[in-house]
Amino acid sequence: MTSAIQVTPRGYAGPGVRFGVPFLALVFALVVGAVILRIAGNDPAEAYRTMFDSSLNGWTSITRTLALATPLILTGLAAAVAFQMRVYNIGGEGQLYIGAIAGSWVGLLLPESMSAVVMLSAMIAVGAVAGAAWALLAAIPKAFFNADEIITTLMLNFVALSLMNYLIFGSLSFWRDPKRTVPGGKRLPDSAIMPSLSGRLHIGIIIAVVAAMLLWWLLRRTSWGFQVRTIGDSPRAARYSGMSVRLKTLTVLGMSGALAAIAGVSEVSGVTKGLEPRALATDIGFTGIIIAVVARNNPLGVVPVSVFLAAIATSGSRLQSIGIEVEVVYLLQGLIFLTVTAGEFFVSNRVGLRAERRAEADGGIPPSAELARGVS
Amino acid sequence: MNESVLVLSIASAVVASIPILYAALGEIITNRSGVMNLGVEGMMLVGAVVGFWAGNETGSLTAALIAGGLAGVGLALVHALLAVTLRVDQTVSGLSLVIVGGGFSSFVGTSGEPGLLSAPNEVEVNPLLPQFMQDLPAVGPILFGHDIVVYAGIIAVFAATWILNRTATGLSLRAVGEDPAAADAAGISVIRTRYAATAIGGFGAGIGGAYLTVAIVGTWQNGLTAGIGWIAVALVILAGWRPWLALVGALAFGGLNGLGFTLQLAQVDVPSDFLKMMPFIAAYLVVILVSANPGRARRLAAPAALAQPYAREAR
Repeated sequence: MTSAIQVTPRGYAGPGVRFGVPFLALVFALVVGAVILRIAGNDPAEAYRTMFDSSLNGWTSITRTLALATPLILTGLAAAVAFQMRVYNIGGEGQLYIGAIAGSWVGLLLPESMSAVVMLSAMIAVGAVAGAAWALLAAIPKAFFNADEIITTLMLNFVALSLMNYLIFGSLSFWRDPKRTVPGGKRLPDSAIMPSLSGRLHIGIIIAVVAAMLLWWLLRRTSWGFQVRTIGDSPRAARYSGMSVRLKTLTVLGMSGALAAIAGVSEVSGVTKGLEPRALATDIGFTGIIIAVVARNNPLGVVPVSVFLAAIATSGSRLQSIGIEVEVVYLLQGLIFLTVTAGEFFVSNRVGLRAERRAEADGGIPPSAELARGVS
Repeated sequence: MNESVLVLSIASAVVASIPILYAALGEIITNRSGVMNLGVEGMMLVGAVVGFWAGNETGSLTAALIAGGLAGVGLALVHALLAVTLRVDQTVSGLSLVIVGGGFSSFVGTSGEPGLLSAPNEVEVNPLLPQFMQDLPAVGPILFGHDIVVYAGIIAVFAATWILNRTATGLSLRAVGEDPAAADAAGISVIRTRYAATAIGGFGAGIGGAYLTVAIVGTWQNGLTAGIGWIAVALVILAGWRPWLALVGALAFGGLNGLGFTLQLAQVDVPSDFLKMMPFIAAYLVVILVSANPGRARRLAAPAALAQPYAREAR
C-alpha cells in the first residue's frame, strides 16, 4: 500500500462514534447543499435562515413541522424494523397507499354517529391489516422462494399507486365524491377525523411516538427482537441456533407494512380527510427509508430524524418567496442520505494516518470493546 | 384488429424497449463485476435531465446522449466510491443514488430561466435506413424505420455478449465478480475493474434516460422515468445476467408499455390505470417465478460475489 492513510476495522463503535458520525454527515450534507445553492446563484445563508424560520421558529411553524413528521416517523419505523433484519422493504410508499385506501373505506362505511375512539381504532386496525397483507405479497415469496424483496416491494408500489388513482380518477368508486366536478375523495365524517392538538398537528403524532417506543422495546428488550437483530447480523448463525428465519421474515415484513399503512391512515384521517391521491403520493414512504438509514435503524432515533427531515420539507414552500425552487428540498434529502451512508464507513472503521499503525498492531481490539460486543 | 395497428404498436414497442435495454445492459456489466447498483432509476433521471438540457443547447442527438451518459457515469462513480472504496452496504448506497438522482434532476430541471420544465425539444431524431426499406410492408416500420440508437443498442447486445464471454477483459471482469480474491491473486485490480464496470453501468443508464427524454417523450418532467430504471434492475435478474435475454425482456416490457395504445386503437376498453400496472405486475410475477424454480435459478445464477464488498486485508 502506498497511501499514507491507515484503515482498521473497529471492533466496537462507542456512542460518540455512532451518534457523532451521522451528525457530522448531516452537517457535511448541508455544507455541500450550500455550495450547490451558491453555484445555482442563490444565497445559501439566506436560504437556510428562511428554512429555519419557516419550520422551527415559532409555535405555528413547529406544529406544521411536527404534523409532517407524523407519517414520516411511521414510515421510518416501517423501514427501520425491516432493515434491522436486513430485509429491505422499499414498499413503504405502496403500503401507505393501501393503508389510506383501507382506512378511509372503514371511515366511510361505519355509521357517522359512532364514537370517534371506536371509529379511529377500527380505521387503524383495518388499515394496518391491509398494509400487512400487501407486504405479505412480497414477504411470502421472500420467505419461501427467496424472491428478492427489493424488487417485489418496489413493483408493488407502482401497482398500489395505480390502484389508488383508479379509485379516484379512473372510476366512480365507493371512495370518490360524485358531487365534485374535479375528481376527489368523499370527505370523512367528523368521527373519522383525528382530533387536532394545535393547528395542523393531530393526535397521529402521539400514535407515532408511542409506536416508536413500543418498537424500541420490542427490538431491544424482548427475545423476539434479539432474534430479529441476530438474523440481521448473521442469518446462518441464527439458523444454526434454531431461530425460524422464515417466520421472522413474514412477521417483520408484515409489521413493517402495517406501520407504513398506519402512516397512510394517519394522513387520510388527520390531513387530507378523504382519499386524495395527489396529496397522499408525496414520497412519504421513500423518505422513511432515508430516515431509517440516518437513524441507524434505532426506533428512538427515527423520531428526531423525522422531525429534522420534516423541517426541511415544510420549509420548501417558503423558499419560493426568496426565489429558490422547492426542489432544493429533494436535493438536500438526497445529499443527507448519501453522506450518512458514506459515514457508515467511518463508524465501522477507524481511519488515521499511517504513523498510528504500530499502536494499533500492539493493542489490537481492546478487551473492553470485545466484551461489550459480546454483551450487546 | 387492423394490421397496420399491430405493425405500429410492435414498432413502438421496439422504441419503448430501448431505454430499458441500455440501462439493463449497463447493469449487467456492473453486476458481473460483483457490484450491485440499485440506483439505475436515479442515474436514468440524471441522464434524462442532463441529456435533455444538452439536446436543447446543441440540437444534437449525439451531444444529448453523451451528456446524459456522462451524467450517469458521474452518479455511478459516487456509488463506486461508497460501495467499492468505502464498502458500505450496496443496497443502501444504491437507494441513495435513486434519491439523490431524483432530487438532483428535479432541482436542475427547475433551475435557471426559463427552466427545462417548459422547454421544447430541440433534437430531431431521424430514421437511419433509406426510405425504400422503411416503406416495405410490415417489416419496414418494425425493423427498418428506427433511428441509429435502436440499432446501436442491438449491436451493443452482441458486443456485450462477445466481450463478456470471448475476451480477456470479459474474463477479468467475470473473475472479479465471481471470486475477487482469486482475481486479485492473479494480478487483476479488483478496485479498478469494479470502478470501470460501475461507470459503464452509469453510462448505459444515462444514455437510456437521455434517449427517453429527447427521442420518446420529448419534454422534461420531474420523475419522468416513472419506474423504468427499476424495471431494468428486475430485468437483469430475470435475464440471468445475460445480454441477449435482456434484449428479449426489454422488448417484452416495451410491448407492455405500448399495450394501452394498442388496445385503445383496437377499441378494447381497459382502464388506463390497470394498463399502467401491467409491466410492474409482470416484473413482480416473473421475479417470483424465477426464484421459485431452483433448477433454472441455478443455471442462470448470479455472480458469486454480487453485492459483496472486497477488502484485501480481510482476505
